[in-house]
Amino acid sequence: MSPEIERETVLGLQGVSYTYPGSVTPALKGIDLDIRRGEIVFVTGPTGAGKTTLCLAASGILHHEYGGIIEGTVTILGKDVQDYRNMGEIGRSVGVVFDDADAQLIFTTVEEEVASGLENLGIPREEMQQRLRYVMEATGIVDLADRAPHTLSGGQKQRVVLAATLALGTEILILDEPTAELDTGATRAVASLLRRLADEGTTVLIVEQKLDELTEIADRIILIEDGSIRRVGSLAEMMQDALLHHLTDDGLPFCRQSVTAPENGAPAIVSIRNLVHRYDGVAALKGIDLDVAPGEIVAVVGENGSGKTTLIKHLNGLLRPTEGSVSVDGLDAATVPIADLARRVGLVFQNPDTMLFAETVEDEVAFGVRNIDPHCNNEPVEAALREVGLLHRRTDYPRSLSRGERQRLAIACVIAMQPKVIVLDEPTTGLDAREAARIMEILERLRQEGRAIIMVTHDLRLGERYADRIIRMEQGRIIGSESASMEEPCLRLCSTSPGRAPFTASTHSPN
Amino acid sequence: MQYVARESAFHRLHPLTKLIFAALVVALAVLTSDLVMLALLAGAVVVVAIASGLARDLLRQVPLLLSLAASLLLLTVLTIRSGAILGYLVPPTVPVIGGAFPITAGAVDLAVAMSLRFAAMLFAFQLLVISTQPRDLVHLMDRLRMPVDYTLMLLIALRFIPSLQLEGKRIHEAQLARAYNPGKGLAGKIRGLFPIIIPLVSNSLGKATVLGLTIDLRGYRSGRRTPMRNLSPGRADVACICCMALATAGYLAVLLV
Repeated sequence: MSPEIERETVLGLQGVSYTYPGSVTPALKGIDLDIRRGEIVFVTGPTGAGKTTLCLAASGILHHEYGGIIEGTVTILGKDVQDYRNMGEIGRSVGVVFDDADAQLIFTTVEEEVASGLENLGIPREEMQQRLRYVMEATGIVDLADRAPHTLSGGQKQRVVLAATLALGTEILILDEPTAELDTGATRAVASLLRRLADEGTTVLIVEQKLDELTEIADRIILIEDGSIRRVGSLAEMMQDALLHHLTDDGLPFCRQSVTAPENGAPAIVSIRNLVHRYDGVAALKGIDLDVAPGEIVAVVGENGSGKTTLIKHLNGLLRPTEGSVSVDGLDAATVPIADLARRVGLVFQNPDTMLFAETVEDEVAFGVRNIDPHCNNEPVEAALREVGLLHRRTDYPRSLSRGERQRLAIACVIAMQPKVIVLDEPTTGLDAREAARIMEILERLRQEGRAIIMVTHDLRLGERYADRIIRMEQGRIIGSESASMEEPCLRLCSTSPGRAPFTASTHSPN
Repeated sequence: MQYVARESAFHRLHPLTKLIFAALVVALAVLTSDLVMLALLAGAVVVVAIASGLARDLLRQVPLLLSLAASLLLLTVLTIRSGAILGYLVPPTVPVIGGAFPITAGAVDLAVAMSLRFAAMLFAFQLLVISTQPRDLVHLMDRLRMPVDYTLMLLIALRFIPSLQLEGKRIHEAQLARAYNPGKGLAGKIRGLFPIIIPLVSNSLGKATVLGLTIDLRGYRSGRRTPMRNLSPGRADVACICCMALATAGYLAVLLV
């Protein structure tokens, strides 16, 4: 590739401001950005900063599909996006991965999903076969070829969507949180693949909440806040910025406290013995033994399909054991009705939108409380909202809250019911580090009140940083249980975590 | 109802053969109300499924068909009085309203005929769907010059029905975990809908925009598709079409005689 070609701008935004229909506050304000051929640009910023809107603007979607008030110019390959006939024409040059993987899976098998876009390109069959094989191998989804996309885990879905987009071989890739649900190894594989594509001339714009392995391959990092570009530079230059510092794990204002370690010998509030669960005869759990004490934070980690979610569903009766026993606060979870278990075990699902249906934040929290005690006053509702910092939003429509606020609302819904055990499925996915830290601060306070916290996560760093104990699962079994060291936990993690990006160990003090 | 990756004889047929099979069953089912002919037609579809090792997949529709048959029977009994009276919904011995809803032979015949017709149509359509990859259906409909919007509509319906079921189950579990107990019976089911339907609809609408954009960006409206697999009819297809032609001729001959 000649230097002239390298310098050619393929994606340009000049003075772009945008206000969504029905809104008065601009989501983007005067964005100026030129991205050159073969460049990888990494855009980050806090939740609600305008990152996704920037993706929509850069791909021409705002102009062609959204309406609203748009100012400035967006060019793709030197041509104004308004001069493209429709998104189909833009799609020949630009591949977009949206943050909702599920909505981008159209077909009924994984192979079909990846192959179908290729069939629309009008290229020879042999080339299609080669590309199909290449992207499926590169994204690690060969084994999933015959699986139905809707049965995959979040991380697997993300890989399939990425493969389906990469297969199109577009000159420009715009990726909105493409690795949010991937573990460190899978994220590294994606990073390496993107670097290779960029070296071959593909231009990549990546938006991510958190700074992870993808930052290592970026030529430029852009920090966006309140709809404006706040800073542009290399990773080393950017780490001087206080806001970016807060977006990294090491910039978190909170770290696990050592003063409230669970007492040795305290009776377990959750006791699982030889738990076996079979779905249609296939064993998903194969003899689990686990005790969790009050005031303990336990992280359950493991690859997709290792049995984590199956395990936690036994705690509140959503699943019943095929064999073995599950005891929660002295109750037999195999036989007690779900409604009774819900008083003792609160379950926060990964996606808060799974449960939100009420007209106001307050009603949403009151729903669970009133299910337990129809005559209960509003005190627990207010206390829970105060705990999660949403009391001032009590009359707002729940779905109008930001992603981080909705996650906190989901936690409020559970803690208002005052359970002794709180179970969270991927509590920080989709949140920036600052929001994630806020969630973990809440959990720490709950732990200090003596509640047992069990969190399922694919993010080993989260477990290492915050949990007292890490339970590792693989193929339905617990393969390891380790206590986190109470001495300088963050320092230990920053220097030894295998998946940590290099900058995090060297640039910051642990606390 | 979704494509099942398997190596069955029916899977190996050309999509056009399978489409002709399904269309023929639908056409023959609406041509007659004769119970014996309809039973033969539904039976023939089941025999094809058994021969292809797909009978278990068809059996999943039986509860739906039974509830549909029961609803149809109730509807026809309440609205049609034709032929001999076979009995009463309310026994004549009951004071005042006894013998109010007679069950007539005409009503039962119609309900059974409609149920058999639905069974034949549903089974035939299901055989087509579970044995044909959606992209092969897309290519077939392309070649038949069907508008791309209709093709995509079918595709999305097939793809998202199981997703919606899964999402509904997830939402149901989330509300149960909040101690929600709407109660049993019809009243409980109706009460239980509200906290489930609202998140389900809201989440689905949120996905619709992304889905539409994905369809456009992947070029489904480009109208120049090249199938990765070059499917062409084989001997089995020719044999099947000959069998279907013979069976159709026989069926029509019996109907006309």
